[in-house]
This record gives sequence, C-alpha cells and structure tokens, in this order.
Amino acid sequence: MAEAATVASETMLSGRALTKRFGGLVAVNDVDVDVQRGEILGLIGPNGAGKSTLFRLIAGIMPPTSGTVSFLGRAITGRPAHDVCVAGVVATHQIVRPFREMTVLENVMVGAFFGRRPRPHGIPAAREAALEALALCALENRANSPARALNLSGQKRLEIARALATRPQVLLLDEVLAGLNPTETDRTLELVREIRDRGVTIVMVEHNLRAVRGLCSRIVVLVEGRKIVEGDPDAVLNDERVVTAYLGATHA
Amino acid sequence: MASRAIAAAVVAVAAIAFPFAAPHQEYAIDVLFLIFLYGAMATAWNYIGGFAGQVSFGHAAFLGIGAYTTMIMIQNNISLWIAVPVSALLPGLYSLLIGIPAFRLRGPYFSIATIGIGEATRLIALNLNSLTGGASGLTLASAPPKVVLYFAALALCAASIAIAAWIKSSRFGYALAAVRQDPDAAETLGVATTVTKTQALFLSACVLGVAGSVYALYYQFISPDSVFGFSTAISFVIMPIIGGVGTIAGPLVGAVIYTFVREQLTALLANISNADLLAFGLLLIAIVVFEPRGILGIVDMLRRRMRPKPPAAVADG
Repeated sequence: MAEAATVASETMLSGRALTKRFGGLVAVNDVDVDVQRGEILGLIGPNGAGKSTLFRLIAGIMPPTSGTVSFLGRAITGRPAHDVCVAGVVATHQIVRPFREMTVLENVMVGAFFGRRPRPHGIPAAREAALEALALCALENRANSPARALNLSGQKRLEIARALATRPQVLLLDEVLAGLNPTETDRTLELVREIRDRGVTIVMVEHNLRAVRGLCSRIVVLVEGRKIVEGDPDAVLNDERVVTAYLGATHA
Repeated sequence: MASRAIAAAVVAVAAIAFPFAAPHQEYAIDVLFLIFLYGAMATAWNYIGGFAGQVSFGHAAFLGIGAYTTMIMIQNNISLWIAVPVSALLPGLYSLLIGIPAFRLRGPYFSIATIGIGEATRLIALNLNSLTGGASGLTLASAPPKVVLYFAALALCAASIAIAAWIKSSRFGYALAAVRQDPDAAETLGVATTVTKTQALFLSACVLGVAGSVYALYYQFISPDSVFGFSTAISFVIMPIIGGVGTIAGPLVGAVIYTFVREQLTALLANISNADLLAFGLLLIAIVVFEPRGILGIVDMLRRRMRPKPPAAVADG
C-alpha cells in the first residue's frame, strides 16, 4: 500500500548488516536500513537502543565494526566524515557545537565553503549561500551575532543551517527537538518539512514520538541494538513489540 | 580601517628609508634586521600556532634546515637563486614528516611531538659532522652586503604578513579557524582537518626556511645551538603571545618588543646568563593571566575605555 504510493522510490543511503561493538557491548547489532529519496525516516527506540550509534555509523563519524554503508550505490563505509559530507550526507550534532568565536554567519559560511560541490568561490558567494540557509532557518537577523550568544533553540537552528549550507542530499538530524519548548518544536517541525520539500532526504533520531508520528513517512525502531520493526508510523507505534519496548511487558 | 593601512605604510616607508638616511648606524640596522626576521618567523608560526591553534615548539627545526641548506649549497658554489628556493622547500617537506603522523592525533599531542622532533633535529645536526661541521658550525667566506639582506628580511616580513592577511580573509582561513574552535564539527561540515593543518604547517615551515637562509647569509656563521636551539624555538611561541596570538599584526608587535627587551637585558645583565628568558617567562605569565589577547588586546581594551560609547542613533544614521 505505502510502497505503491512511492512509485519512483530510489535508495539514497543503505546500511547492510551494520554492527558496532564497544568492547563487550554490542551497541548496534546486524542492522539493515534503507533510506529512500525524499522521505523523512524516523529512527526511534528507548534510551541506549543504539540510535545515535547507528546514526554515527551512517554519517561516517565512526566506522562500523562490520557491515557496509553505501550512498547512491557507492560504498562509503569507514570514509572520514568530511568525505561523507562532500559526497552529500551531512549530520547535525545532538549536543550543539557552534564555532564559538565566529559569528552566526561565519559558522554557516564554513558549511558553504566546504560542503558538496559545486562550492561558492570567494567570500561574497559563500556569504550569500550562508544567508540563504540562515533565512530558511529564521536566523538571518542574528547573522552578525556571536554564535555563543544564541539560545538553545537558536543554536539548534544554527546546526541545521550550517548543515544545509553544505548542500546535502541527505540530512541526518540527531535529536533536534530535545530541549525545545512546544512552540519551538512546532517551528522546527515546520522547518524540517520545508527542507524535505526542497528535495533533501531526511533521517532523524528522535525521542518525541508525537513529533515523529506527525512528521515521518517511515519509522525504524531499534531496541538493544537490533531493528525490531519498521514501516508506517501509525502501524509501528501501535505495534505490540514497540509498546513493550517503551512501556514494559505488563502494559502490552 | 584606513588608519591602520596608513600606519602600515608609514612604518614600511621608514623601514625602507632608514639605511639610506643613516647608513652608518650599524647597530640600529642589526636590530631592525632582527626585528624583521623575527617578525617574519613569528608571523609564520602564527599560521599554524595561532590560526589553527596547533602550538609548535619545534619551529627552530625549519629555521635550522633552511639555514644549513643555504650554507651548504653556497659552500658548494650553488647559486643563491637555487639555494633560497631549496631552503624554503626542504623545511616544508620536513614539516610533512612531522605533520602527517602528529596531526592524526588530537589535543596536545602535536605540541608534545614538536618538542621531541625539534630536539632530535638539533642532535642530528650536531652529530652529522661531515655535512654540518658539528658543534663548531659552518662559516661563509663571502655573502651579499648587509644592506641587501636588511631589505631581504624586510621583504620577507612583509610577505609573511601578507600571507597571514590572505589566510585570514580566505576559505583556508575559515577552515583553520573551524579546526581551532571545534575539529569534530569542522570535520562533519566537510573540512579535511588533517590536510588543512598540514597545509598551514607546510606554509609556515617554508617561510621559516627562507628566514634561515637570510639568517645564515647575514651572520655568515651558524651552529646547531644557534639555529636549532630550544630557546630559539620558544621565542617563536613567545613573540605571537606577547603581541596577540591569532592576529595579523600581533606577532610583529611581539617581535619588536622581544628584540628590544632582549637587547637591553643582555646589555644590562651581561653577567647573569639567560636573564632574558627569566624576564620573558614573567612577561608571558602576566599576559596569560591579565590579557590573553596580548599587546593588541591591551590596545583594544584601552581604546574602548578612552572612547565614549557612540550613541546608537549615530550608528543607525
């Protein structure tokens, strides 16, 4: 049913048998995951399920112990993060990491200068590209503020603006809603939709299930490092195994 | 700012005119030569130590390799037009040997590695008797006139500062600043952090190599303890910190102060060895505690205090 609707589906990112061990702990265990062009894929699961680790494996922030990641059919397993970014896959940081001594605009210019090709030539072109990303994230009137002067919501949007300035084909968002109040959450959800509508495929790790239900076209659920269910948000969130994982067996 | 450009132009004209106006002031020319040479080197140290935040205690190795390369090539009757470029290139290549392994590590590892490599380089120079003459060093029978080398040092200083200004306002400068402030974030935004740091180190080492060339020609004598010495390496760290680390003009300001203070102290306290190092140690502590932005930071602070805050309406108008 859902598959029939997305006729021209094309796999952007694909993880096969991804496993990550930290000593004796298996954080991600034999996970297959595919990301289709134009979708918003939600990655959910209880604390410690391995969501952020899986996210980092895909973004090239850390290499998998075994398994492969490919982007548009080409293997990117174990490639350094800057390579993955230049290829067209960019990740935001769960804990915001602005360049603190730079202005908001300069932060975003770094993304514009070094992301996916074609890159802007010269400062004015990079500035223009950065301002465009800032406008989309409603930060253009803070362009010349020091990045450290933004509040949390602003810094989260700066993370997104900086990532967008790299001209990604796939944007990986790591808990962008964490710590935001309801108004800020709604604005951010609107922003994520807007980014998707501009043709960027999105993968988001998220704790806020209400947001995930409304926003994602598909959900993958991880529990204890394994993928237990994936599919349509409503079906997944009502799945007995998911409810058990979140609330415990007695509620199932 | 226009006033800054005018100040730079005035200094440059004065520096160019000085040997013509006072051709017999040999001591003054010696001091100015040192200021330009130190200014060039401290500015170049700042590419990697200031802009990229990778503090090197091993830059004397690049100075020394440049100096010995020139010395040895000229002793073998090779033209200066070949010797000087080679003296720039060899330290550059040597920097890759250090940078490529050390920059794979984060944090202070690079700084620690540079101490070891600097000292190892000095010891190698000390023991390669057949090539370097060992502890007794190398001397040069003839060299270009001092006034020519004075201008060479001035030109090198200007070039080094021009490179710094270019870096600051270029894509490369953004990469270095990003690497300094958050290497992980830089990496996820597409900055190849290891390559970026290695490029800055290479550029820095090449300038130090040319400085070594000019140094060898000016003094017509070099030894491992002079050009490869640890106190020389430390001076490259001291000068930018005094003047203002990570700024364009700071290292030159630091070089001026460093050179004058050292000249005065060595004259004043001739019988206390290394009194200058004690003085610089105290000066460094004072700067790090009270104004980490160095002299330029102090100037900036005084300027803000003296000038009354402009009313907002003026800024808008």
